[in-house]
Amino acid sequence: MDPVRTVPLESDGRDIDTAVAVLSGEASGQLAETHAQLAGIPEAFRKNPPATYYGQPLLKQSVWSIDIPLYYFTGGAAGAAMVLGAAIQAGSCGARADCDLRRLSVTCHWMGIVGSTMGAAFLIHDLGRPARFLHMMRVFRPTSPMNMGAWILAGAAPTAIVTGLFINRPGVLGWIGEAAGYASGFWGAGLSCYTGVLVAGSAIPVWQEARRWMPVLFAASAATTAASILDLFYEGREARRITRVFGTVGRCIELAAGGRVEQSASRVRRVGRPFRRGATGVLWKAAGVLTAASLVLSLLPDRSRRTQRIAGVLGAAGSLAMRFAVHYITNASARDPRASFDLQRSA
Amino acid sequence: MRRSARPLSGRGGGACRNSGRDRTSAFCYAVGWTQHTTGVQYIRTAAIIQLLLGNIGRPGGGIMALRGHASIQGSTDIPTLYNLLPGYLPMPRAGYDKDLAAYNDSHAEKSGWWGEFPKYSVSLLKAWYGAAAHSGNGYCFDYLPAMTGDHSHLSWVADMADGKLKGYFVMSENPVVGTAYGGLHRKGLRRLEWLVVRDLNLIETADFWRAAPEIERGEIRPEDIPTGVFFFPAAAHTEKDGSFTNTQRLLQWHHKAIDPPGDCRSELDFIFQLGRRLKELYAGSTAGKDRPLLDMTWDYRLSGPREEVDAESVLHEINGYAVSDRHPINGFVDLKDDGSTACGCWIYCGSYKDGVNQTARRKPHWEQNWVASEWAWSWPHNRRILYNRASADPEGRPWSERKAYVWWDEQQQKWTGHDEPDFVEKPPSYRPPPGARGKEAISGVDPFVIQTDGKGWIFAPKGLHDAPLPTHYEPQESVIRNPLYPQQCNPLRMEWRRKDNPYHQPFDDPRFPHVLTTYRVTEHHTAGGMSRWLSWLSELQPEAFCEISPELAEQVGLKNGGWATIRSARAEIEARVLVTNRIRSLKINGRTIHQIGMPYHWAGNGLVRGDSANELMSFVADPNVSIMETKALTVDIEPGRRLRRISGRPRIPQLPGREEDRDLPRARQRKGSSWEYELEQGKEGH
Amino acid sequence: MEALLSAAQAHSLETRAARDDTRNTSARKGFFTDTTLCIGCKACEVACKQWNQLPDDGFRFTAMSYDNTVALGASTWRHVSFIERPLDLGGQEAGGFSWLFNSDVCKHCARAGCLESCPTGAIIRTEFDTVYVQPDVCNGCGYCVINCPFGVIDRRPDDGRAWKCTLCYDRLKENMEPACAKACPTDSIKFGDLEDLRRVARKRVAQLHDRGMTEAYLYGVDSANQPGTEGLNAFFLLADKPEVYNLPPDPVVPTKKVKDAWISFAFAAAGLAIAALGSVFAERSVR
Repeated sequence: MDPVRTVPLESDGRDIDTAVAVLSGEASGQLAETHAQLAGIPEAFRKNPPATYYGQPLLKQSVWSIDIPLYYFTGGAAGAAMVLGAAIQAGSCGARADCDLRRLSVTCHWMGIVGSTMGAAFLIHDLGRPARFLHMMRVFRPTSPMNMGAWILAGAAPTAIVTGLFINRPGVLGWIGEAAGYASGFWGAGLSCYTGVLVAGSAIPVWQEARRWMPVLFAASAATTAASILDLFYEGREARRITRVFGTVGRCIELAAGGRVEQSASRVRRVGRPFRRGATGVLWKAAGVLTAASLVLSLLPDRSRRTQRIAGVLGAAGSLAMRFAVHYITNASARDPRASFDLQRSA
Repeated sequence: MRRSARPLSGRGGGACRNSGRDRTSAFCYAVGWTQHTTGVQYIRTAAIIQLLLGNIGRPGGGIMALRGHASIQGSTDIPTLYNLLPGYLPMPRAGYDKDLAAYNDSHAEKSGWWGEFPKYSVSLLKAWYGAAAHSGNGYCFDYLPAMTGDHSHLSWVADMADGKLKGYFVMSENPVVGTAYGGLHRKGLRRLEWLVVRDLNLIETADFWRAAPEIERGEIRPEDIPTGVFFFPAAAHTEKDGSFTNTQRLLQWHHKAIDPPGDCRSELDFIFQLGRRLKELYAGSTAGKDRPLLDMTWDYRLSGPREEVDAESVLHEINGYAVSDRHPINGFVDLKDDGSTACGCWIYCGSYKDGVNQTARRKPHWEQNWVASEWAWSWPHNRRILYNRASADPEGRPWSERKAYVWWDEQQQKWTGHDEPDFVEKPPSYRPPPGARGKEAISGVDPFVIQTDGKGWIFAPKGLHDAPLPTHYEPQESVIRNPLYPQQCNPLRMEWRRKDNPYHQPFDDPRFPHVLTTYRVTEHHTAGGMSRWLSWLSELQPEAFCEISPELAEQVGLKNGGWATIRSARAEIEARVLVTNRIRSLKINGRTIHQIGMPYHWAGNGLVRGDSANELMSFVADPNVSIMETKALTVDIEPGRRLRRISGRPRIPQLPGREEDRDLPRARQRKGSSWEYELEQGKEGH
Repeated sequence: MEALLSAAQAHSLETRAARDDTRNTSARKGFFTDTTLCIGCKACEVACKQWNQLPDDGFRFTAMSYDNTVALGASTWRHVSFIERPLDLGGQEAGGFSWLFNSDVCKHCARAGCLESCPTGAIIRTEFDTVYVQPDVCNGCGYCVINCPFGVIDRRPDDGRAWKCTLCYDRLKENMEPACAKACPTDSIKFGDLEDLRRVARKRVAQLHDRGMTEAYLYGVDSANQPGTEGLNAFFLLADKPEVYNLPPDPVVPTKKVKDAWISFAFAAAGLAIAALGSVFAERSVR
């Protein structure tokens, strides 16, 4: 029997190890709730306010450059565009049916190509050893969101390319293009929001409690971006109706999810600091403001081209700002040892 | 003094509680204890306490100096000291030790192991002068240099500063950083004709002519310095064979692992080559003054493509051999005073016993008893604890089973035990007959065999220059009057009264209200020549810093992590500030005295650089061993970096020195003492 | 004779005997770092740097007691923390002061955040149950850096790859103990089989409690003690809150919590598809 006087993980307050002792005392039948304790750490330390080591960070900041938020942006937009493209194929019996929608679908798929290849370029450029980018394909590791993301990107980019190249062709190539189009929709859905899992699946304290909302935030933001970019460059009425619905849904959910992210991250007040303070706070709020402004503008009865374009700019800017905010908030949270300590003590 | 007051009060309590039949206590002191004008008396204090507690000569007892060099004990055994010959034979004194007979007579004791003194001195001379030394010429005793006065380190540096020395060999030391008052050292170096430095790196002593504080300040220009400087790169300890002698008298051999790179050579090779070339240079000379060089035996075995000296052949000479067949001698009891034995160092006799390098033995501790006598070799005679007779009671039984070390075996009629006993066949009941001499004069119950009466001396009638019993004196520069006596400082301390060695007032100097002490940190080694050139050590402690209490920080306006300038009459230095509760202010007679602690490792060359703490010190020393007082002085401190001015003189107001406050009138009259350096008119230092 | 053997001597005999069993390579290896024995000498830092031939991390005075190393990183795999406290350790009378030291190191967690998040498979579990980064595979994606709950692993911008303590994998393969354990003069860093280390550690805590140091406890000794990582192969004996040593009080390997995010991802992706389809069919219905 272990003579060590550490506090057990779960205790009903009896200090009796039921593996070797029998509960037969008078009060042994008394019900007492078990409560998980901070395993092994002496009682005296639980109540005192946490110290830090000279204010030094506990965690390491991410080594990622702006390549990564740019990747969130372009990859997200690409993914959502591919989904939209596939949806248009489905809803309009393929690209052949209607001129306008067909072009929209093709545009979506080309956004997918451009966005995913640009995204891949950003990612490869950000690697410490870019020449080794193919090492991502050495393993298939479901525990790693980054590995899964590498496979998703590896699926998305080629299917997008095949779709873009073949979807208009007659004959077999065209059928291949069609099939690829649906496939890219599938991959694109993954591409648009796996990065939310990537961020939430880290040890950074600010995202721990918000992990359920991050993929939603990213997916919605991806939709916003795709719709905004289409709004910027696309004219047709039918197309506009689609992008407007798609964009509105995206913006609304982006705002709601963003709010939920901030709220759940701030359950422990210190953890939510980067949303409220400093440059990161400004950037995060700006993102919300831009997205809200974009939403309002896009819902105005005024359907002028100029309004549409401005709404598009605002939407894209808001989405871009959100991605950068996430990037900088990650590092601000990593730098703050109290965020980790307070969060872990709050459980 | 505050450090040694503790053993008498708080700390000593622990030693008292932990001493007796079943338990012993040891004093382990860092070498800073010695660097005071009363340094030797501090060690004496510890020795007296240990004698009273019965902690000498018993396992777990004794006094251990935690010293900073791998072979520091060896540096006095085979000495680098001016006043000793190997094995602690005194250097002859001019005018007193006129010949070998006079020398032996004045130093041989009537009793104890020093009674055999002539055997050691003659054997040494035979080792050095070989066939040329015989009984007819006093074994070439007059070849040995003789002291004409105080030739200690600080004294001849002062002489150097007065232009009295031509040349200087500096080997594996960095005196302008490691010794007190680098400024005065460098002044001396500038007056030399030539300087030879041997080291692993380009230490500050070798670079004084172009990288020094006074050159940085623009006071001195390199082109005005006439000294010729020669720098020889040295081999590291892994690149040469040889031995270390640790503080507990243990000789351990270290083996060469790789060849030194390029032109790097060991000291052994350098000295051998130097001697060889000097012999060649003076070969054929008929002048009497050259005989010591030409008659010197210099026939060590050479080996390898570079013809390096085989270090074991040197060990053979140090150990001693029979002159007739060069067979190694197994112990100093076999040395003779008739010229038939040669021995480079009598206490090391036995280290090459039977022609086997005993110091290279490496029997692991799990294959022998806990004393581990078969790991390496200790002097004398591989005895691990000296005076181990004291581990048994007067009847020869161990004081307790737990602390049994050596004991008298009645059946076999000899001493036995875990270690080599101090005496083997002398029973506890032995009492010396009247007229007994040498070893026979020591009784069977007197463990301290090197003393003339075999006793431990609580009162020391001779051996120390300043006093037979320790007491308290303030350092040369203090903040308070001596609370015990009107005599402020050690009356026999060594001073150098020179204009370029200004002292602060003895106490209450308004310009220097704080106490400074220096020490080491783990990450660096002494003057930094071996550590501040390595990145892995340098990054652990990159910058010179001082440590102060929060009270002093607040009082003066110093910030943790900021800069401070520390000033004495000798120099002004800057350091980073570390505010810590480990440094406590002293409360003395209602006054608060602040301490500043500073590691002394930094200087101007190397990967990490800083100002050198020892620049602040003056030349003042302990009278017994002339060791500098660097652990207690007064300074001033203020925030900010030091100014880089053209004029280097610290901006301190001139105040009267109040020298007379250090000494009672009686003590002031000690002119003519061989330890006091007197200024001649017109030969002022600065 | 045994009575005269110091505890350190006895233990080194014991450890040596344990070391002879390193030929049994199925045993889990690790460190038990007993901070109450640490003297802050930094021999571990230097031994590690020398053995692995790591570059220096710059020369700057931090004024954080004697800690100028600050933290573990790509080029520092052992880091000694220095904490000066205005209170005594239990059982000691130092006038209201104690100086805590801890030789921090990669924890080689039983569930390692870096390993489970590594997309290239560069980070592996060795036959000694330690966590090792293969420098020829790592492409420097940096994801491990934000997945370590202890802030250990890092990427050097000039090198591009992620690095951390290897638990001297090269030495273990030659039946040698890691450089830091070998250099440690007080045996504060003990290396051996995890089960042996756990046993020694628990005895040590009991011994310290008997002496009056009741605040001593084990950090990460096993899964029950630290469920978030399921135990650390390199665990510690501490004398104050974990935060004081810059250690997290309740670290959790991120992969234990990531399932929620994946489920949310599935819904989000599906939702995106539904939104897209909905937009298309909404448009059709308008037409």
